[in-house]
Amino acid sequence: MNWKDELDELARRRQLAERMGGPEKVQRQHDSGKLTVRERIERLLDPGSFHEAGAVAGATKYDADGQLIDFRPSNQVVGHGTIDGRPVAIAGDDFTVRGGASDARILEKSLYPEKLAHDLCMPLIRLVDGTGGGGSVKDLEKLGFTYVPRVPGWDTIAENLARVPVIGLALGPVAGLGAARVAATHYSLMVKGLSQIFAAGPPVVAHIGEQVTKEELGGSDIHARNGTVDDEVASEDEAFARTRRFLSYLPRNVYELPARTEPTDDAKRRVEALSIAVPRDTRRVYAMRPIVEAVVDQGSFFEIGKLWGRSVITGLARLDGWPVGVIASDPYHYGGAWTRSSCEKMTRFIDLAQIFHLPIVHLVDVPGFLIGVEAEQAATIRYGVRAMTAIEQSTVPWCTIIVRKCFGVAGAANRPHNRLSLRYAWPSGEWGSLPLAGGIEAAYKAEIEASSDPAAARARIEERLKAVTSPVRTAEPFSIEEIIDPRDTRRVLCEFIRLAAPLRQPGVSQFAARP
Amino acid sequence: MKRVQTPITGTLRSYAVQPGDQVSVGQEVAIVESMKMMIPVLAEQDGKVRALVHPLDQLVHEGDTLMELE
Repeated sequence: MNWKDELDELARRRQLAERMGGPEKVQRQHDSGKLTVRERIERLLDPGSFHEAGAVAGATKYDADGQLIDFRPSNQVVGHGTIDGRPVAIAGDDFTVRGGASDARILEKSLYPEKLAHDLCMPLIRLVDGTGGGGSVKDLEKLGFTYVPRVPGWDTIAENLARVPVIGLALGPVAGLGAARVAATHYSLMVKGLSQIFAAGPPVVAHIGEQVTKEELGGSDIHARNGTVDDEVASEDEAFARTRRFLSYLPRNVYELPARTEPTDDAKRRVEALSIAVPRDTRRVYAMRPIVEAVVDQGSFFEIGKLWGRSVITGLARLDGWPVGVIASDPYHYGGAWTRSSCEKMTRFIDLAQIFHLPIVHLVDVPGFLIGVEAEQAATIRYGVRAMTAIEQSTVPWCTIIVRKCFGVAGAANRPHNRLSLRYAWPSGEWGSLPLAGGIEAAYKAEIEASSDPAAARARIEERLKAVTSPVRTAEPFSIEEIIDPRDTRRVLCEFIRLAAPLRQPGVSQFAARP
Repeated sequence: MKRVQTPITGTLRSYAVQPGDQVSVGQEVAIVESMKMMIPVLAEQDGKVRALVHPLDQLVHEGDTLMELE
């Protein structure tokens, strides 16, 4: 052995690096209910798979003889490992070293996981804790000058979104650049009570007169309900489990296709309960989630964004083993009407499906856009047309099931119109430009007002119109291609995926302009 | 304070519980009409109903408290 001294020195420094911010800071991390970055990586990845890069990077002090007398590791642990045997890049913030702040960060090292994911085309997981490398006024004294801000590596961060799955986990109070690194992802999570996200934390917002706690300013009660992050979980372990599961539906990068797993469920399974899932009384709601769960492969539905944009349910699932994206209306929220936030959620989800080549299944019960003063104030139609445009711009295979209502402009977006896509309706289907209840007064105003008994006139008109609203009549001019027995929904969806899977095209997705 | 808030804006049509009743998570406790649908409001916390605070047949806004729990 010619290089024993150097190897021993490296081993010693690695040992020092594993101490992170030192026992006291590690204890403080544990006392605040948080795992250390090294514990996080160990729990997230396949056992023993982590290959760390730059463990010995950090700030050093030497004595006059050139002997190392102090070593503070940089506050990011980076490298790659595997999840379910597939490679992932890891960027893990170490809050125990200077609270994750930039003055203990090494720029080249913090850019490394982003470049690693980009150039080796593998998913990236950011474990964000602290300011995520954002600036500190402490830097100014060291530099001796101030600077025009920039985010080094933002180019790679943006490029990665079109190239590899990117996941952001907020695992503590996350501010500034840290908040941006969580949000600039395809999937993001907060741990309830443990994570907060804000552009600037409570001491800073106190200067604008707001006295609030971290939780009041940026807890998951706020950000998992406004779409800043996709989901809220109860523990760090649950965050890791959901991360692993999310990745299981996606390809390693956009140049590959989502992989089929061994089918575990009968593709022709009839679901008896679906014959009574939708009540005949059109004013009564029903639960959509059990319908979704019943038609996809058993146990395969992974909902994303449950707490925001709630009139639409989005999630990943499998059909006969093939990964798909599912969009479904939730009648429990505004009868399934499209709201501003549900349109934002849908747009984000359709982009995810498009980027990673997931065919989309759309279960429709849409009375239209949400109406009323609040809906107008929320700029619903602006976000509505963006969602409609995202649907139209998508090229992944679509299959639409009209479960009940399909009205108006939002209803028309039940599928893209740029190509033929398979569509089926349940016999509970009702559709049109306007529901009868709202449309009669407007369309028959003169006839109703001219009558000596306006109420009776309105009732007569309604009877006349009702006579033609059977969905079976809509099939006469082929306006609906096929009305199916709801119990056969899984069968037609599995047939769709068998036809659609070979049509999926790997590659980078380009989006045209959106209004 | 524990309470039940309406997740949607609409017209409060009915309560399914009375003061003194015990409610549990997921239980239907009121009906709000929106988009011509009668939409159940489900309890998100367990508790005993202390007071019904919102009058019937009036507009409620997303997030308004319908009842207080103890």
